[in-house]
Amino acid sequence: MLTVESLTVAYGGLTALCEISLVVRQGQFVSMVGPNGAGKTTLFKAISGTVQASAGRIRFEDTDLLAVAPSERAHFGIAHVPEGRQVFGSMTVMENLEMGGYPQTGRRDWKRNLDRIFSLFPVLAERRAQAAGTLSGGEQQMLAIGRGIASSPRLLMLDEPSMGLAPMVADLIFERIGELHRDGLAILLVEQRVAEAVQSCDFGYVLEAGRVVLAGTHRTLLADDRIRSVYLGL
Amino acid sequence: MTSFGNFVEIFLQALTAGILLGAIYGLMCVGLGIIFGVMRVINFAQGEFLMLGMYFTFYVVAAFNLLWFLGPAVGPYTGALLAGPALFAAGYALHRFLVSRVTGISVAGTEGEGHYAQLILTLGVSLVLQNGGLILFGSTPVSVRTPLSARAWEIPLLYDANAALFLNKARAVAGILSVMVAVALYWLVNRTRLGKTLRAAADNAAAALYMGIDVDRAYRIAFGIGIGVTAIAGGLVATYNPFQPYIGLDFVIIMYAGVVLGGMGSILGAFWGGMTIGLVQQLSTLVLPTQLQNAAIFVVFLLIVMVRPQGLFGRATERI
Amino acid sequence: MRAQCKLIAPLLAIAIVAMAWIAVGMLVTNSYYQLMLTLVPIWAVMGLSWNLLSGYTGLISFGHAAFFGLGAYTVTIALVGFDVTPWLGIPLGMMVGTVAGIVIGYPTFRLRGHYFALAMLAYPMALLYVFEWLGYQEVPLPMKREAPGFYMQFSDYRVYIALAVGLLVISLLISLAIERSRFGMSLLAIKQNEPAAEAAGIDTLAWKMRAIMLSGALAAAAGGLYAVVLLVVTPESVFGMLTSAQALIVALFGGAGTLWGAPIGAAILIPLSETLQAQLGDVIPGIQGVVFGFAIILVVLLAPEGIFWRVRDRFHRTRAARKVPAMAMAPRVAFGKTAPVPPPPERTPILTVSGLSKSFGGLRAVTDASFEVGEGEILGIIGPNGAGKTTLFNLLNGFLPPDTGKVVFAGRELAGLKPNRICRLGIGRTFQVVRAFPRMSVLHNVVVGAYATTTNDADAFAAAREALAQVGLAGRSEAAAAGLTNKELRLMELGRALAGRPRLLLMDEPLAGLASQEIEALLDVIRSLAKGRITVVIIEHTMRAMMRLAERFIVLDHGRVLAIGVPDAIVSDEGVIEAYLGKKWASIRAHG
Repeated sequence: MLTVESLTVAYGGLTALCEISLVVRQGQFVSMVGPNGAGKTTLFKAISGTVQASAGRIRFEDTDLLAVAPSERAHFGIAHVPEGRQVFGSMTVMENLEMGGYPQTGRRDWKRNLDRIFSLFPVLAERRAQAAGTLSGGEQQMLAIGRGIASSPRLLMLDEPSMGLAPMVADLIFERIGELHRDGLAILLVEQRVAEAVQSCDFGYVLEAGRVVLAGTHRTLLADDRIRSVYLGL
Repeated sequence: MTSFGNFVEIFLQALTAGILLGAIYGLMCVGLGIIFGVMRVINFAQGEFLMLGMYFTFYVVAAFNLLWFLGPAVGPYTGALLAGPALFAAGYALHRFLVSRVTGISVAGTEGEGHYAQLILTLGVSLVLQNGGLILFGSTPVSVRTPLSARAWEIPLLYDANAALFLNKARAVAGILSVMVAVALYWLVNRTRLGKTLRAAADNAAAALYMGIDVDRAYRIAFGIGIGVTAIAGGLVATYNPFQPYIGLDFVIIMYAGVVLGGMGSILGAFWGGMTIGLVQQLSTLVLPTQLQNAAIFVVFLLIVMVRPQGLFGRATERI
Repeated sequence: MRAQCKLIAPLLAIAIVAMAWIAVGMLVTNSYYQLMLTLVPIWAVMGLSWNLLSGYTGLISFGHAAFFGLGAYTVTIALVGFDVTPWLGIPLGMMVGTVAGIVIGYPTFRLRGHYFALAMLAYPMALLYVFEWLGYQEVPLPMKREAPGFYMQFSDYRVYIALAVGLLVISLLISLAIERSRFGMSLLAIKQNEPAAEAAGIDTLAWKMRAIMLSGALAAAAGGLYAVVLLVVTPESVFGMLTSAQALIVALFGGAGTLWGAPIGAAILIPLSETLQAQLGDVIPGIQGVVFGFAIILVVLLAPEGIFWRVRDRFHRTRAARKVPAMAMAPRVAFGKTAPVPPPPERTPILTVSGLSKSFGGLRAVTDASFEVGEGEILGIIGPNGAGKTTLFNLLNGFLPPDTGKVVFAGRELAGLKPNRICRLGIGRTFQVVRAFPRMSVLHNVVVGAYATTTNDADAFAAAREALAQVGLAGRSEAAAAGLTNKELRLMELGRALAGRPRLLLMDEPLAGLASQEIEALLDVIRSLAKGRITVVIIEHTMRAMMRLAERFIVLDHGRVLAIGVPDAIVSDEGVIEAYLGKKWASIRAHG
């Protein structure tokens, strides 16, 4: 479904990503883990188009994404839930969700999506008229995910959803993400917290300093001690 | 009539004039508020677009008399409203070709976030428009005459049979229309899908991009709307005030003062900020001679910026 | 700016230009051209005065007409009201300009960027209204036939040309002196990166005040001479928008931040606009403004740094920025155990932090942080994203005042001190994003850091050289900063901090984005610093490298200190593993 081939992203003399390749298949849950600065967010930005690729290809289904303008890519069915939530702080929860539903597919399925979002995250229904900037971190994350689902995506990309959240809230978020996957949505998850990411995934990649250093099914990765050394430098 | 009663009458007169003037100032501030308050783009030429709105109205109504069929009372106001779409196009083009080169993602990492370049660029635009206006329109002050500017409504004040409030009809109509346009804009920005996409693009451009919103187009539209709204305010001012090509400069500080007073990021705040400035100006006529009134506004502006930069409605986290 | 001070070249240039100008002036008989030859230097002075403040510091002033007008009116009122000759009136005007600089600068410097420019706009406009109200609609300067020379009135226009050139020479000399001294360097550092300059010990407010005082004086002098030459002053002509715009555009067009920018700009634009005004002014009034407007737009879009830099860069193409080769990722170090760092010796604490807390609104960035840093140790501060590490540094550095808690450095309480004070006490800091002066040499980039601790330039440069030697860049000291590799840039940033001879060095992510070999080079440098008794505290994410460098770690998570200890202890600490890898990981590994 999503194929990244030998993607290289370099700017200002720094190579953020060096010949990364990964694949997300229909309905698959793919995780990407790695320490800070490994290039995970850069990969998402390259897929979404806010960062230029220096070399390599990105294909989504049959489309060469790199030839599509950034503001168009969301209309193809890729939803990007960015690092740090990035909700529209000055707008209400409802308006944020409406913005999520901006693409054609979102408008078409609006009612159905809204019901789904509210059943997954009831607190959003409660606070639908509240300004998004006043929500707690966890609520904002739920909103960001809801916003992502509102466009009826075929692939949901999540960038460090647990960042800055208390462990219990992070657990809840991961549970819901798992639910979304069970409903058939393809998920590409980037996380610093290895366990949650690796446990739920079908396939995982470990990134370090812009390169893929480990890849495998979740069983293979769980058994591998090298992950700890990648993080803690042993 | 007692001198206190006299004072009350004068005070109420100034107050009413202030409210009417304030409504128009509010509208122009809303225009700048969209550009400066929401998009954080400095437009030094905002006053010149106000001036262009005035001249547009003048040429359409008085010089070429294109709206003769609407009659002398309705014509000028329609002309003023038409200035909006006309200058929306100009603003859109300005952003597309010039302003976009010094704003947005391309300058996000540079020194001062491109503000320096925006200031200078729009200063250049302002000079061109001001002096271009001088060349095209001449320096003699003109005005758009309406039969209403010479008439006034008389509202008797209840406490004294002899006291009355005089509402100049032209100013009153202008003021009411300003409020109506401001309300219409508020509805556009807050209730329509277009308005929401504009707000989203201004709030967080990257996230808006992820939603599939064409952020560049949104910026252009927002800029154009900001210019158009200010132009309408200009057209309305034209119905009761004579003007010449340099008049924009008089209003630039008023507009910025209003937007900053009302609080950045709040269109409603910008309106109230403009209203406040109008009140301050009119009430200051009670104590200050004419030439110093404008100086008073500058002092107010300086005070706001130094003492309470987040304005009345702005968020306290606004870092100057 | 070229490497070392070669004063001969610019002094010679100034002398030549001055003499040539006067010579041309002597030959010209047409009074119109004579006026032109007088006005160009006056506007060049105005441009230089604007450049002094805005060109060097980057704080754009839209209000220099305020100083110009005050100078003009001082001369006028002194002559008209008190019969004081302009020979005294102009210096008097300069004093007024200086005072105005203080009065305007002190409150307005608290504002940033666009607010500063807008506020500066307000001052001349307010003055304009005030002067109109005072009744000074149009004030002609009276003819003094009894003693014209005494009153700076000459029938031969060429004397004015000489006077104007004289003022220009003075202004150029002042600008040259500033540019070549720490005054200019400090201003440029402020323009480049004000927080970094503050952290390097530069008292930014003091320098900005000095700049605006001098700028005000020069602008007032220009205004005073203008009044004498034109013999009539109106509020609009001296306080008006066009005056401020002219100062700005003249300097920008030629090149802001340079000595010759304003003169070049004036020499091109003033004759152009005055000629247009003269030829077409009747038919097309306002042509002047239109030309200036277009000039501004073109400059901003095409040559934002001015013509001077465009031309100079073209001539120096070979020395200009080398294309930095795309970083080849060096092969990674293979997995395996690395040599353990020996246990740290006993150290006396040099920095003690107790109960430090900081919140932003509802967000608790740092909560109750307490720890000690031993003298001469290398301490690593680590933690997941968003843990509050940079906020902690900002608290230690003085950029943020703490809500509660104490920071004691070598016996001194640091809370509430400004960053440049803290730097002088001996704490240096490097920043993640290195903003260098691209056209200046490495040595000049680094010397800014030495200003806080030295009194004269010779000592400052000596300290800078020492610092460069410490980081291994001595061989590159004359190279332009634009051509440096990433590693060299980081070392240069380190050099700047070292030039201030700190006892404690705070380093914010110095290794980010570097390749393995480059990391090694930096690690070696840092180790050598520690051997030299400098205490180093580093925020970093590159754990692999940090494990080999740091003696101790402090782990932050959600703003709290999670763990403090030696590397081995930290990586086996459950809390730390949980923070980085997640609770489940620890339990999974424990239970298989």
